[in-house]
Amino acid sequence: MPDSTPSIAILIEQLSAPDAEARASAAEALCRAGESAMSAATALVAACADDHDGVREWAAAALEDLGAPPPEQIADLTAFAAAKHPLVAYWAVTLLGRGGEGASSAVPALEACLAPGTAIEVRQRACWALGKIGPAAASARAALTAAASDADPRLSRLAGEALAGLPG
Amino acid sequence: MARALSTKSLVRWLAALLAALSLIGGLSLREPSRHPSSQQATAIFDGLAPVSAHAADAVSPPGAAVPAPPIGAAPGPSLLPASRPWDAVLIASFNIQVFGESKIAKPHVVEILARVVRQFDIVAIQEVRAKSDGVIPRFVDAVNADGSRYHWIIGPREGRTVSKEQYCFLYDMNRIEVDAGSIGVVPDPGGKLHRPPMHVRFRTRVVPESKAFTFWMVDIHTDPDEVPQEIDALVDVFTAMRTARPDEDDVILLGDLNAGPPQFGRFTKTPDVTWAVSGATTNTHRTKTYDNLIFDRRATTEYLGRWGVLDLQSTFGLPLDRALEVSDHNPVWGAFYPCESVGAPAASGGIAGVAQPVR
Repeated sequence: MPDSTPSIAILIEQLSAPDAEARASAAEALCRAGESAMSAATALVAACADDHDGVREWAAAALEDLGAPPPEQIADLTAFAAAKHPLVAYWAVTLLGRGGEGASSAVPALEACLAPGTAIEVRQRACWALGKIGPAAASARAALTAAASDADPRLSRLAGEALAGLPG
Repeated sequence: MARALSTKSLVRWLAALLAALSLIGGLSLREPSRHPSSQQATAIFDGLAPVSAHAADAVSPPGAAVPAPPIGAAPGPSLLPASRPWDAVLIASFNIQVFGESKIAKPHVVEILARVVRQFDIVAIQEVRAKSDGVIPRFVDAVNADGSRYHWIIGPREGRTVSKEQYCFLYDMNRIEVDAGSIGVVPDPGGKLHRPPMHVRFRTRVVPESKAFTFWMVDIHTDPDEVPQEIDALVDVFTAMRTARPDEDDVILLGDLNAGPPQFGRFTKTPDVTWAVSGATTNTHRTKTYDNLIFDRRATTEYLGRWGVLDLQSTFGLPLDRALEVSDHNPVWGAFYPCESVGAPAASGGIAGVAQPVR
């Protein structure tokens, strides 16, 4: 039986369609594709800012299962980490964290996410991501140290865990 | 297993509770939250409405002898009975991926989901994701379209981002009732769990109330990016739930753990804690073990040693892409004796009446 599933490239294009239902269908199909939709990671992160609830929900669900991003997507994800939309920034930061040491070029952007005024879930995730990057995140030590004394217990704990992974 | 309460045991329980609370730090039980359906649940629990004619085939005849739980468990997954037996309560967990407006609008998907639910007495659902409150009522209408009498309890929207999820329990009112005062969410002031679990205490109603199996169910969907930390926190949740009430030691923690038994961490070192699903995949792609039911084998001697994974593809004859339209997870289930066990001899070196769990 021929495979009737549209290719990932077509679904990525469809995520930008004018029709919201078409965008939602594309996000759902990418979600069902699982890790094979990895090349859609950046497009799915962008879709987290969609006005349509269905697009956002399916995009977020797809991102949950994607795993670590390929190296060629690190730069775009790093740019998205500074997005004003918290859900976009949250997922960009999450994917960068999954990239581990391979996402070390994103350390300055992740450090910037720790600043007070950023959405708390993004700050927390940035601490987590820096912890995943490990020793290569040493340049974020000062920001992590400040976050470790934050009143938010989760932020404080994750910053402490990230600091524990830094050398010396 | 039932606990008899005496002054001595109450004092011991209070001491244990204090010790447990001091150990778990940020995780402790908070007052149950009230949800729209809990008032209906109160009516069910207080009223103990007579079992309808519809349920007559499913329950034991009045005054029937209550046999002991069978000895011997299947070494692997069991076949789901064609119809629900009166001498077993079938409890399932099902992550219905992104269960919201788009999924409920697909009749062919809803039909499969309804057929899944009707095979079980209670289904703990994860991933209800909808802005409106209408999805579950519409779904329950679909489940009950064949004359079934399922009802639901749904939790608050949870999650750290704007993309939130709800836990939900569907249960067959002919066979199960809810302790309305037991509905709540485990407080998590330390932010250890992305979606703090929801707890509800149930009671079987296929046997006289004095003999009915009562138990906590704790529904959880872990964050796939923080599985080890969340599993560790769930051990504390499980421990706290075991002492949440002096008269209840049966706790079934179930859901999408995003982890299989090799990743169960401190659970594997906690005496007598065991799980139903072992050596089987639970995702629709048949590649991972994510879903399970965890309980204490010495306390929950009602476990019959029967468990399974309801494979959506083979059960409903669906190709993979159609099964994935239903969910990326298969339901998992375990069978429990509907009567409260009165205890097993602690010195026996084993568990009387039930098989040793498969690890």
